Amino acid sequence: MAESHLPAEAGQELRRIVRINEEIKSVVSTAFKINLMAMNAIFLAKRAGQSALGFGVLSNELRQFAGDLQKQMAALRETTYGSVALVTMLLKQSRISRLLGRAQAGAEGQGGRSLRELASRREETMLAESHRQMAVLNRRLSHMIADTAQLVELGSVLARSAKIEAAYGGGFSTSLMQVSSDFERTIGEIQRSFENLNKDQPEDIVA
Amino acid sequence: MKKVHAIFEDGDHKWLALARDTSRPEFLIDTNEYLVTSDGDAILLDPGGSEIFPAVFSAVSTGFDPRRINKIFASHQDPDVISSLSMWLEFNSGIKCLSWLWQSFVPHFAGQAETFVPIPDNGMEIAVGSRRLQAVPAHYLHSSGNFHLYDPKAKILFTGDVGAALLPAGDGGLYVEDFDRHIRHADAFHRRWMGSEKARNDWCARVSALDIDMLCPQHGAIYRGADVRRFIDWFSRIEVGILKP
Repeated sequence: MAESHLPAEAGQELRRIVRINEEIKSVVSTAFKINLMAMNAIFLAKRAGQSALGFGVLSNELRQFAGDLQKQMAALRETTYGSVALVTMLLKQSRISRLLGRAQAGAEGQGGRSLRELASRREETMLAESHRQMAVLNRRLSHMIADTAQLVELGSVLARSAKIEAAYGGGFSTSLMQVSSDFERTIGEIQRSFENLNKDQPEDIVA
Repeated sequence: MKKVHAIFEDGDHKWLALARDTSRPEFLIDTNEYLVTSDGDAILLDPGGSEIFPAVFSAVSTGFDPRRINKIFASHQDPDVISSLSMWLEFNSGIKCLSWLWQSFVPHFAGQAETFVPIPDNGMEIAVGSRRLQAVPAHYLHSSGNFHLYDPKAKILFTGDVGAALLPAGDGGLYVEDFDRHIRHADAFHRRWMGSEKARNDWCARVSALDIDMLCPQHGAIYRGADVRRFIDWFSRIEVGILKP
């Protein structure tokens, strides 16, 4: 019977959602940092003039990337909110099922039969439906994480390209190189967060 | 989802108010929850009913890591105060619930004997990180076993149902801005739900001796500055424990 293992499962699910949320917060804060770094890089490229035109374009793109990333993380957070609501519903249903099960064990005659029928109907309908919804939500979350990881990969490519462009920065080359290395390191932090997020996906979904 | 507001902040010592749940069904009374943090430790005050657990949990998660919450304070035993306990215990079975003699009543919601830490009638100190909060007796206001929680460093008093106001839709400010207008929404509630004038007088004398910057109820807006004194004076004058048609 599904309810017998549900509470432990739901508690684990809540803890998994918290771990995801903590990574989301970390990425949002890093994305904010990239936005500021990109703004400074745009000013630096302007000062460097003609020789840093390419660097300026990439800095603009990185700023856009930081904004897109923040939006994606907000959508992810919204989805985890939906997961908490669903896990709460599962917990409540499992508690009712557990109490009905105990009442059924002690009840005899028509009362006991009615309770058995009720428990069986709940099992077939409500709990099964909640499990189905949970699976759908987990799949959606997993896809969103995968899509956002691709966006982060784009950010990483932009940072690498900025490093190449920095080499053509003439007298500003050293400063531009420093900035682009900072971009690379910071986006590396985000990539590590996404590795953690991927580790936290349910196995059946990852497979 | 509820919004998180930092109402006090001094380094790692914070008071977060979780208030104004816009997605709440209308038939549920709106509640405020408060999270007090210090040195990586945290206590959640009146965590609310099970129906609003998703909103509270998600709001906490945006401002704090809920894995660090290891204590829950229940001012009294009402469902809108503590019926979400079962959910919190599923998340972290090590959470301790601090309450009065309801230690044998609250387990009807959830928890084992070791979950509950009873608060004696005259109150006690509760450690949150390096901070020492004080459970302040507020018996019969409205529950016969009732506590408020005072933070001497932040100068904040959490008052459960005392100070509560049932605000009309659209009146969603976090703080009381116009005391006279606000208190109209608190009047009937206090006359009906606060059962003893003697207990009320004792409470007013007790909290008047405390240095309070903010008085934080479980429903409605937060009183701050001069409105704290205004509230205590108002409460000390009204007739309580009456049911008027």
